[in-house]
Amino acid sequence: MKPFAFFPGCLIPVRYPAMEFAIRHTLPNLGIEIVDLEGESCCPDPIYFKSKDKVAWLSVAARNLTLAEDLGLDIFTNCSGCTATLSEAYHLLKDEELRDKVNKRLKRIGREYKGTSRIRHVTTLVRDEAGYDAVRKSVVRPLDGMKMAIHYGCHLLKPSKIMNVDDPNNPEVLEKMVEALGATPVRHRNWYLCCGKACQVEDIPLNMMRALLSTVKDEEAEILCLICPTCFSQFDHGQMKVSKHFGDDFHIPPVYYFQLLAFAQGIPYEKLGFDHQRFKPESLKRYVPASAGGLEVVN
Amino acid sequence: MADNSQPKGSAPVRIDFEFRRELARKIEGNLASFCYQCGACVGDCPAATYSDEFNPREIMLKVLYGLGSELLVEDSILWQCTNCYNCAERCPQEVKPAEVIISLKNMLADRGIYPTTVEKIIETFEKTGRTTPLSPAVDRQRERFGLPPMKPVPMDEISKLLEPAPDEEADAE
Repeated sequence: MKPFAFFPGCLIPVRYPAMEFAIRHTLPNLGIEIVDLEGESCCPDPIYFKSKDKVAWLSVAARNLTLAEDLGLDIFTNCSGCTATLSEAYHLLKDEELRDKVNKRLKRIGREYKGTSRIRHVTTLVRDEAGYDAVRKSVVRPLDGMKMAIHYGCHLLKPSKIMNVDDPNNPEVLEKMVEALGATPVRHRNWYLCCGKACQVEDIPLNMMRALLSTVKDEEAEILCLICPTCFSQFDHGQMKVSKHFGDDFHIPPVYYFQLLAFAQGIPYEKLGFDHQRFKPESLKRYVPASAGGLEVVN
Repeated sequence: MADNSQPKGSAPVRIDFEFRRELARKIEGNLASFCYQCGACVGDCPAATYSDEFNPREIMLKVLYGLGSELLVEDSILWQCTNCYNCAERCPQEVKPAEVIISLKNMLADRGIYPTTVEKIIETFEKTGRTTPLSPAVDRQRERFGLPPMKPVPMDEISKLLEPAPDEEADAE
């Protein structure tokens, strides 16, 4: 198994532990060893703290990266916000002047940023280190016939020159990952829209989410598959606000990809925390494990 | 610069270069200088699509003119940005309007003007090293999934990173 340092961030371990559970369960099945970091902080977030002071933001991000450098490992994140901050820090700190400035601050705590650890979102880590075939082979409960809309969100793909993940105008990584579950990805008309979380007025995100959810509904998708906890909170909690505000009843459960993978790898529905969601992906219940035990790999 | 050659009804534009210099000291704040006002940033901007007021090209124009007084205010239009970076993808000049907007928000912060929600999250981070607050309920939930309790963040280290060095300010000038 190949080891990678795990940067869990704040939102997933604190508010959505089921997502962290799913990551910890699914990656070893794909040959990826999870190594925990010691003493990591918030990435810090690319919306709020970055708005206060970019140099302080960059310094804390650099400190987080040094923790993985100490272990000699690349780092992976499970949140698009953390991916954005850490990838951007890695990019900005190629600039010598800025790196010196940040290293002057890090010196106060006996640390130095070197730029030796790369950053990957867990989705691209799986794509690049395990491959779609390995995902397919790990599935014991294929989600045949399930139509899934995909929400890429913004920070996995953009700015594309920094993230280097996929074509931001026509990405395919999530479609391929959904296909590997046996499900059918559908590209709704508003796939390109943002979840709106960063926007600090109420109307804009409400209207955006409404537009997005309507086109997901048009495609008769049963689930909105996503890979960012912030997008998840928007489309779960936020979807309620949309319904209340406009009187629409979309009822589209958002689900974090790795919980779907854990389910497809045989973890029972009840153990994946879906009962905590406002919109529960109950359509998953129609899939029974492939064998009586349900946990052995069949292919 | 009293000037009678201005067309009737339009005031002469005086560019506030001090505002632009202050912005240029922020990381990537100076990128706005390369904007040639083509408007490529507007078409795919979700905030511009769903707001009557937000327009990234106009914000860059205000920056070029040094109209800080229109941007650095309570409830600034800047907070309508969704940070999606579509503008940065579309910009032929690699201006990254979203990034310039964050630099402008840094200037708002220097003046102590934040929306309450933003201020609250920043405070949580500065106190605990996390943006999402911990509680005993969090660890109980984690236990349900067989996960260990959350570990505290070494705040002695984080706090030391937040303050600028005395010579850092001088460097920036």
